[in-house]
Amino acid sequence: MTKYVVKRVLLAVVTLFLICLITFFAMNAIPGGPFNGEKAKSAAVMKVLNERYNLDKPVIVQFGYYMKNLLHGDFGVSLKTGRDIRQTINESFAISARIGAMAMVIAIIVGIVLGSIAALMRNKWPDRVIVFFATLATAMPSFVLASLLLLLFCIKLKWIPVWSSTSHNYILPVLSLSLYPMAYITRLTKTSMLDVLGQDYIRTARAKGVAGWKVIFKHALRNALIPVITYVGPMTASILTGSLVIEKIFTIGGLGSKFVDCITNRDYTMIMGTTIFLATLMVIMNLLSDLVYKLVDPRIKLE
Amino acid sequence: MKKFTAMLLVGVMTAGMLAGCGSSTGSTATSATSGASEATATDSAASDASATQTASASAPDWSGYDSLIKEIKSDTDLVDREAKMHQAEDMLMATGAVLPIYYYNDLYMQKTDVDGIYSTIFGTKFFMYATKKSGDKTLKLCLASEPDHLDPALNSSVDGACLASNSFVGLYVSDKDGKYQPALADGEPKVSDDGLTYTVTLKDGLKWSDGSALTAKDFEYSWKRAANPDTACDYAYLFDGFAKDGDSIDVKASDDGKTLTWKLAAPCPYMMSLLAFPVFMPVPQASVEAASDYQSNPGSWASEAGFVTDGAYTLKTWNHNESMVYVKNPNYYDAANVTMDELDFMLSSDDTAMLAAYNAGDLDYIDSVPNDEIATLKSQPDFHVADNLGTYYVGFNVNSSLFDGKTPEQADDMRLALSYLVDRQSIVDNIGQTNQEVATSFIPTGMSDGHGGIFKTDDDAYKYPVNGGYYDPAVNVDKAVELLKKAGYTFDDNNMLSADTPINITYLTNDGTGHVAIAQQIQQDFAQIGITMDIQQEDWQTFLNDRKSGNFDVAREGWLADYDDPVNMLEMFTSESGNNDCQLGK
Repeated sequence: MTKYVVKRVLLAVVTLFLICLITFFAMNAIPGGPFNGEKAKSAAVMKVLNERYNLDKPVIVQFGYYMKNLLHGDFGVSLKTGRDIRQTINESFAISARIGAMAMVIAIIVGIVLGSIAALMRNKWPDRVIVFFATLATAMPSFVLASLLLLLFCIKLKWIPVWSSTSHNYILPVLSLSLYPMAYITRLTKTSMLDVLGQDYIRTARAKGVAGWKVIFKHALRNALIPVITYVGPMTASILTGSLVIEKIFTIGGLGSKFVDCITNRDYTMIMGTTIFLATLMVIMNLLSDLVYKLVDPRIKLE
Repeated sequence: MKKFTAMLLVGVMTAGMLAGCGSSTGSTATSATSGASEATATDSAASDASATQTASASAPDWSGYDSLIKEIKSDTDLVDREAKMHQAEDMLMATGAVLPIYYYNDLYMQKTDVDGIYSTIFGTKFFMYATKKSGDKTLKLCLASEPDHLDPALNSSVDGACLASNSFVGLYVSDKDGKYQPALADGEPKVSDDGLTYTVTLKDGLKWSDGSALTAKDFEYSWKRAANPDTACDYAYLFDGFAKDGDSIDVKASDDGKTLTWKLAAPCPYMMSLLAFPVFMPVPQASVEAASDYQSNPGSWASEAGFVTDGAYTLKTWNHNESMVYVKNPNYYDAANVTMDELDFMLSSDDTAMLAAYNAGDLDYIDSVPNDEIATLKSQPDFHVADNLGTYYVGFNVNSSLFDGKTPEQADDMRLALSYLVDRQSIVDNIGQTNQEVATSFIPTGMSDGHGGIFKTDDDAYKYPVNGGYYDPAVNVDKAVELLKKAGYTFDDNNMLSADTPINITYLTNDGTGHVAIAQQIQQDFAQIGITMDIQQEDWQTFLNDRKSGNFDVAREGWLADYDDPVNMLEMFTSESGNNDCQLGK
């Protein structure tokens, strides 16, 4: 196990280096630059800015500088705003992660429960209702749901303000964010559960007179969760890092919009910072979900 | 499997390196461009594009324009200066390279119980004297997403200028009638007879928001800092007209900190407009230099809430990309007349979210609405439009292959002909929708002439060619056909372009509902005589890059004046200007 973890961590370091390399060269290859605007900056200003951020040097040299600073834990400052990248990511990730974690908890709990109910009551009305809503939620883009929630609760009913400088109400963004993974987990749990329930060992357990709830919770659900875990790992990383659409609609200063804005602005240091952060999170979540497999199903061998 | 993975990784790495090498070449070319521009010392080309086109044989002769602008900038006779500015606009319009569409205005929504907010022709809004019928002392607003910088010297956006003007103040300030009134200055500036030396006395007892004394020395420091290239202010060029004192600009505070004196290289008829501009506002030296990285990151001191200001408000809380809360600064020189205790800003660039918050009653004022909502909203009493000083126009690249084989005169005729085909009124009515004034010149209506009058008014000294403009804005197909025939094109009896002499144009624009809709309207207008126009939509940065490097036939353009003088818009087209997208003289 330890050997496996060490090996995976080493591989992760290589992966992250490659991601840094590819991202750095790719972002420098696209047209435009961080200091372009509708009104041109003077040559003197451009010279100072390019020298200040080493943009006057060949890209390979810039990459060298960047990696050297990165190894010292220095992500630099945003070329657009001058704000510290690490601080910006920390602050906005804290907001996105809070909303994302709540959304993920709701999605996992409700999704597994509904999926299990649908599987256990297959072809009965609860199953049909659950499948109908799960299909609808999977098909509905989050911006449609978010807009509908905003219209209903903020504008028509006026229960929640659209925006306030004093109180943040995260109910609507959490609901909007959780619906898709919830529906997906419901469908995944149901399919997987049905598959497991048809297995011989379930029949054997029942034949041996094991209690119904025990068969479901100890034998069926545990095995049915493996595909769900595979999905939940990367999905969590993705949800924790925010959603551009939800952040724009509900005016949330999360990380999601930063991924897009920094590319639009060609804010090179921010592009690198957000990419490295997301990649690291993805690698960690994938590693964690692999380790959780082992806990759920001891037959799985980590190698 | 492992071998395959290893090979894949090597492949990806090689691809990455190759991409980088390509980019590295581009970057080296940039350095070369910068180096060349440094040698000429005036080049403001900020392009990183290496594909700048060379001058075409069909491009107009632009040799006299640069010297004319130079003369305008040093002319001491303001009447003669105006005549030269008309001459410069005549030269520009004769090329047809600029196709003005309309003069900008600015829409906003303001709840009917709110009063006292005013804005300038530059789009700067002042909220401190607002009142609400309810007696509520908090104003809730949304202008845009958060600006890049709150340091008034480093800001370069209109919404940032609004925040700067409500939290900082300089020597003079624009009032609701657009007149410049003394702010920190005590009375009008004393100007020497030659118009080159200005002396301003400051009011007594001025303070920063932290209670420390604000003196003329703060102005000296701030102006020198803003003019210093190391600070990298976008608007540092506004100090170009100052006389030099060694490496720095010639500005001095008296020993007692009461008076500020500065010298100019040439008289500046728009000095008052500059003195009210954010880059001329003072910043507190102690705070600026308290940031450990202030030399490499000059805006660092104002990147979080709580920084020291001298204006009506100070920033109390800043939740990045969500909200800002400004509270009244008791040390503001005019604090007694500030009616609003608190300004709460929603930070969003999503005009749908802004309008939703406004409609829900969570905001009192919004600066933008979705384009497709304007038609519905414009009849409401809370919908307002204010004039702006700027022009939305279409620019032709004079070096485009579109004009290959033509003489400069024929190329001019081609561009002018296309101008006669554009239905500007339809663009204003159906796309702009806020009663913008149809443009008949590049310099907008309302701009000053530098000696007390309005530039775009027919007077004894200057008459525009057609009814106060360069053309009649009505569509004139016959005139367009006539000019195109002069340029060597043939037409059938129905005024349709012959297949033997086709015209195929590519129109470059960035993504944006309004810009694309205008392009589509022009596409239809050109099609009425058989001209084919493709619309090329690009993301913002790619668009800027292509436009700057002359990688287009026709592109959408726009310019909001930085100060109230025609030279601000005319100097864009000098051959070395970084804003000369039309490539005139390049």
